[in-house]
Amino acid sequence: MSLALRIRDLIKDHAGEKALKGISFEVPEGALFGIIGADGAGKSTLMTILATLMDADSGEVEELGLDLKKDFKILRHRIAFMPQRFSLYPDLTVVENLHFFADLYDLDPAEKQKRLSDLLKFSALEPFQKRRAGLLSGGMKQKLALCCCLLHRPSLIYLDEPTVGVDPVARRDFWILLKSLKSEGITLVVSTPYMDEAKLCDTLLLLDHGKVLDSGSPREMLSRYPYSLYRIRGPKPLAYSARKEPPQGVSLVYPAGGELRAAVDGGMNASQDDLWKDFPGANASESMTPDIEDLFFALLSREQASLEKTVK
Amino acid sequence: MKASLRRILVAGHKEFLHIIRDPQTLAIVILMPVIMMFLYGYALNSDIHNAQLLVEAPVPSAASRALTSRLNASTFFSVPGSIPASADPLQPFRSGQARALLRLPPDFEASLRRPGGAALQVIVDGSDPSVGSRMRGAVEGAVQKTLMDYLDIEPPHILDQRAVVLYNPEQRSAMFFVPGLMAVILLMISALLTSIAITREKETGTMGQLLITPLRPGEIIAGKLLPYVVLASLDGLLILIVGRLIFGVQVAGNLFFLAICSLIYVFTALSIGLLVSTIAKRQHHAMMMALGATMMPTVILSGFIFPISSMPLFLQVIAHIVPATYYLQIVRGIILKGVGLRELWQPLLILGFEGLLLFGLSIRKFRIKL
Repeated sequence: MSLALRIRDLIKDHAGEKALKGISFEVPEGALFGIIGADGAGKSTLMTILATLMDADSGEVEELGLDLKKDFKILRHRIAFMPQRFSLYPDLTVVENLHFFADLYDLDPAEKQKRLSDLLKFSALEPFQKRRAGLLSGGMKQKLALCCCLLHRPSLIYLDEPTVGVDPVARRDFWILLKSLKSEGITLVVSTPYMDEAKLCDTLLLLDHGKVLDSGSPREMLSRYPYSLYRIRGPKPLAYSARKEPPQGVSLVYPAGGELRAAVDGGMNASQDDLWKDFPGANASESMTPDIEDLFFALLSREQASLEKTVK
Repeated sequence: MKASLRRILVAGHKEFLHIIRDPQTLAIVILMPVIMMFLYGYALNSDIHNAQLLVEAPVPSAASRALTSRLNASTFFSVPGSIPASADPLQPFRSGQARALLRLPPDFEASLRRPGGAALQVIVDGSDPSVGSRMRGAVEGAVQKTLMDYLDIEPPHILDQRAVVLYNPEQRSAMFFVPGLMAVILLMISALLTSIAITREKETGTMGQLLITPLRPGEIIAGKLLPYVVLASLDGLLILIVGRLIFGVQVAGNLFFLAICSLIYVFTALSIGLLVSTIAKRQHHAMMMALGATMMPTVILSGFIFPISSMPLFLQVIAHIVPATYYLQIVRGIILKGVGLRELWQPLLILGFEGLLLFGLSIRKFRIKL
């Protein structure tokens, strides 16, 4: 399997901080690759560098078989970048934005027309062609931005938090579009702070404070989940979150959804149920399978623990 | 080459859409020259018109009445009539009743015919020096002329000195400010709008999108400049039309040559805006920088209002860097004197050189990464 992206030890100081502290990973061709991390994890810096718009301080990047530093001009013809912020012209209409970007690539008129109408259909923006981009809803803006990225048929697209600030229905629609692009063989690198979007990707990179926590396919990564996870019913999750130390034998307690979750070292049997007496109002607990969010918390707390150890 | 030109036109077309989608900017571009012309034409005018002049005649006589009515008839002054002798001749100045006061002696009529002649006093409000000295000259001239006529005598022929004023014989200020405003407005429109236009792409994040497309830096810049060259040309034309129709300023020289020189000037001005936009990160920073780099030096240092030769040396040095200095020489030469390339090649060459230098510098500074 050939690689769309091979990154070795990427380092970048940005805005006076160490944004990327030596990152290495690979993205296979045709993947839907998700970069997951909280705000400030370094996702945008990483994307901007990979999109040829910013230079890294050091490290090697091979993109579509080309050297990022040397061949960025050629790469610009073959990749696309959808930045975090809406970056089209709000005073131009949907079609005018599309025409502008299409015209910059030397397409013959018939081909251009075909691509435009295909994209308008694909994105369901057809009824809004004449609307100014600034007046579109958040979801439609992102679809338009995606269409503008697709005009030149790139083989690799970077999407920086494309669904932030977009309503749930539009988010789902957007991911359907991404899936259909993947089926055309386009490599997609998507960053997101939403854990529920992680499982829609086929490969993941968990990023925290400029460092890689883990990477692999969601299933692979979850198989490495180090704890047994329990769902605790009863206590109000937010009331608990003020507590600092989890009870003995429990590594991690955190609110998720409308419940509390506890990660416990090794298997915990039912007789240890009395552990839960530390949780006011707890009336039941049950074992559950972890998802990416749980893994993320687990890795994060382990990272912090090792940090504390080195400090001590 | 052909593909590059096509991309420039695509970028130019997009910029043109931005302009027409923004009616406020468009209104400023069109209205500013007209408003500035009316302001300069009517308000910033040191021509004297109907200035209040009082004639103090302690003993009214035929001579004083002739003088009063003659002065009142001139367009310079408005004379409400003669006033009696006053103990405090400065009172009308303090109260703002008068800009000038002509004081006649009580024996004015008789002293006119005496060998020693009459002694008059002219008091002029000198708070605006140029208006003051012009009023003084006007009062003295009018008095001289009236009394000669009144006494029916010829001026003595000792020296026959006749001044000839060239290019603007009536000394109308329109002849002076129309070329000056060409310099100011073309520069402001060009530098200000381009600096904002490029900074806006940075601020909205679209610059990154442009950089990833096949557009080369030079093409982005050229496409940006194109519509503003058209706008600036329209403004230049507008100034000439308003100058001609309302202020009666005719272009003495070749219009085509004026257009070419103006385009070179506009190119220099656009390059200033470009350079500003490569430095500024925000639109309002760009605007302040562009205003500072263009408006002040152009109005004050280019020789538009104040003559460069009367400035201290170090300001003269700066004045000779300001592009408007050269454009002003050119545009005054063409509009007022009707001269052409043979007389104006020097400032034109310097202007073109400055334009190329600034343009080259801004292309070099234009970053192909964020």
